Amino acid sequence: MNSIFFVSALCAALIPAAICGQTLDPALLTRPATDSWPTYHGDYSGRRFSTLSQINRSNVRHLTLSWIFRIKVGITPNAIVGGEGPIPEGPPSDPGVSTIKSTPLMVNGVLYFSTPDNAWAVDARSGREIWHYTWKTRGGIHIGNRGMGMFGDWLFFETPDNYLVSLDARTGKERWHKEIADVKQEYFSTPAPIVVGNHVLVGTGGDSLDVPGFLESHDPETGEIQWKWWSAPLKKGDPGFETWPDEYAMRHGGGMTWLPGTYDPELHLYFLGTGNPNPVLTGRSRKGDNLYTCSIVALNVDTGKLAWYFQPSPHDTHDWDAAQTPVLIDTVIDGQPRKLLAQANRNGYFFVLDRATGKDILTAPMIRTMNWSKGISSNGQPIPDPGKEATVDGVLVSPPTGGATNWPPPSFDPETGLFYVGTSQAFSMFYLTDTDPHPEGWGAAERDAGYFGGDLEAIDIKTGKIAWDHHYPFGGGPVGILTTAGKLLFTGDGSGHLMAFDPANGDILWHAGLADDLSNGPETYLLDGQQYIVVGAGDQLYAFTVEP
Amino acid sequence: MIATAMLAFGQTPSPEARGPVPKSDPASIARGRESFVGACGFCHGSNAKGGEKGPDLLRSVIVLDDEHGKAIGPVILRGRPDKGMPRFPYSPQQILDISNFLHDAISNAADRDSYKILNIVTGDAKLGQAYFSGHCVSCHSVTGDLKGIGARYEPVTLQGKFLQPDSTWTEGTPPHPVNAFSVTVTLPTGNSFTGVPVNYDDFNVSLREPSGAYRSFKRGKDGPRVEIHNRLQFHLDLLMHISDAEIHNLTAYLVTLK
Repeated sequence: MNSIFFVSALCAALIPAAICGQTLDPALLTRPATDSWPTYHGDYSGRRFSTLSQINRSNVRHLTLSWIFRIKVGITPNAIVGGEGPIPEGPPSDPGVSTIKSTPLMVNGVLYFSTPDNAWAVDARSGREIWHYTWKTRGGIHIGNRGMGMFGDWLFFETPDNYLVSLDARTGKERWHKEIADVKQEYFSTPAPIVVGNHVLVGTGGDSLDVPGFLESHDPETGEIQWKWWSAPLKKGDPGFETWPDEYAMRHGGGMTWLPGTYDPELHLYFLGTGNPNPVLTGRSRKGDNLYTCSIVALNVDTGKLAWYFQPSPHDTHDWDAAQTPVLIDTVIDGQPRKLLAQANRNGYFFVLDRATGKDILTAPMIRTMNWSKGISSNGQPIPDPGKEATVDGVLVSPPTGGATNWPPPSFDPETGLFYVGTSQAFSMFYLTDTDPHPEGWGAAERDAGYFGGDLEAIDIKTGKIAWDHHYPFGGGPVGILTTAGKLLFTGDGSGHLMAFDPANGDILWHAGLADDLSNGPETYLLDGQQYIVVGAGDQLYAFTVEP
Repeated sequence: MIATAMLAFGQTPSPEARGPVPKSDPASIARGRESFVGACGFCHGSNAKGGEKGPDLLRSVIVLDDEHGKAIGPVILRGRPDKGMPRFPYSPQQILDISNFLHDAISNAADRDSYKILNIVTGDAKLGQAYFSGHCVSCHSVTGDLKGIGARYEPVTLQGKFLQPDSTWTEGTPPHPVNAFSVTVTLPTGNSFTGVPVNYDDFNVSLREPSGAYRSFKRGKDGPRVEIHNRLQFHLDLLMHISDAEIHNLTAYLVTLK
């Protein structure tokens, strides 16, 4: 009997309550995590700042490896198998399936995380598998999965073929699955569900064809849908319809909801960034600002009703989703306590909003190569230069479609007042390829044109100025970040290292070489009174600690 | 070798992540196109993207969900009298052909890696020549290294050669391989080593010397001194100020160097 089987057998037969019976206390979701990591960002704010300081600037040089867990995907011998698709002919070959982009949940000593079509429970003390669930897919793009949501003993995750799947956290057995979008319309789903009260909030993605985006709330017990918010108006007269030429354009207008949002329990608002409009790289058939694509929106979490919006990229024609984490920050400006929302946007700008109203407080450029905007409007929106929309003979644009930054989670440290984000500087040529008055899909082609390296940037949220910057000439860029009250910042460098920086000045304090580049957002928690740092790199999960 | 390519991010999948798009038999697609244009094109447009009477079929959920004509077959055979669509008494093979044609058109719209770049040679070659004389002649010559370059590459590839040149090439007599990047590591003793960078990060730099020898150095706050040189830095800096019109003009000029 091998040890993995032994643990699985124990879970299934002998002591499920001791090892696997792990109920999430809903109160964990509304206070900053210390002895758990109960939701994608650790808490609802999206700050990815931990108040833990057991690992700190003075002992970080003693940070040492505790364990490594390597995932084995697909129908492994012990896997619990679900799904609507056929039995696959061989093991999954998509690199996305074997890359850990999710931030594991950690509740009562168990880590829960997922990759496309796969989910695991792993003993956080030992790095041993407790169970592995795998989903037989009907298709869809298997690029990544951001992780799981949890309510009591129930786990939720989304699949590339657009099912919301609920598992029993104790056993890994499936409770139910619900289809949320049609894979044949090129939808594919990557977000981590966010649980707020009795709402499981799920979004979707996919912009290969021109389909509309939405966010849904599901009942955690039954999976039934509670409300659905469309990210573009459905018909004339709906809010935002005046920013589209006609109903046909808005119903094929995109606006995917492919990253988890953040939540303010006092305002009762869920904050979400939406994706690009469709057709993606040409706007001829969708003249106007195309609300609520490329927008930061505030939704009433009980009804899905829009409270306010702010659009960082009006009439986007470069695939610059505004899906990046809307980070919630409470601070004092000019003597007044303020509830803010900050976002490092894929279009190259950093935004600070009042999160009660959506009003822009600050808009500042993050990268020097950016060339698509003619300035900032009086309400804080960048003004797109129409001359930088794809033409048949090509236009040179920075940032490229991949953006100045992307999905890897940024962090805000309330002790330094700095917002940390990984950025990338590059250009691309955009060539219009579909000259039809009604282009479809992307409508244009992109070719790389020069790469200036990546940076870890520390941005002062009150001025938008870059307080310090760590440049990587050959890599780095958008990588997940964690800050802690131990006066540490953890991130990766694109050269296979996990690093600890001094968040005040960017000094490197510690590093370790991993077998792959950091591929998720680092996290931390206290277990048995001991602080751990856990990161995903490729197909491996690493746990580090300072031994007492 | 140091990878200068950007990491793959976000929801922009690599071709690998999307997997191969299954292609139907080209003969069936061609037959389907012929049937479609003749019978359906009048209302749905010859490209199936919709016409005055019929909807865009590439965005039709019935078509998207269709497999081998199972969903569209009944619509073709029965028509939609309420919407003014007549019935078409097609054989199962003809329906399969039309289904294959429509799905091929959908996958062509959805698969952006297959998009064909159109005519990019729109610039003024004379102005491009002037730009070349003003910016490029200190390194390049149209009678030397660039002789006949317009005949060697398609315009898009040619344009890419000055926007993002390859980082390795061959030059000299006898011809030898060259890497755009070189790194020089100078130790506190004053000894220095120069070669092609193999790794460069905050903790280590390694290089391969012209002799083929591999050398690796630990990096720290106190050194060694590390200098990176990029022979193509000009091309990178160019991107910060070249205009789209200058790109088009220079392309138009280079194309004439047959």
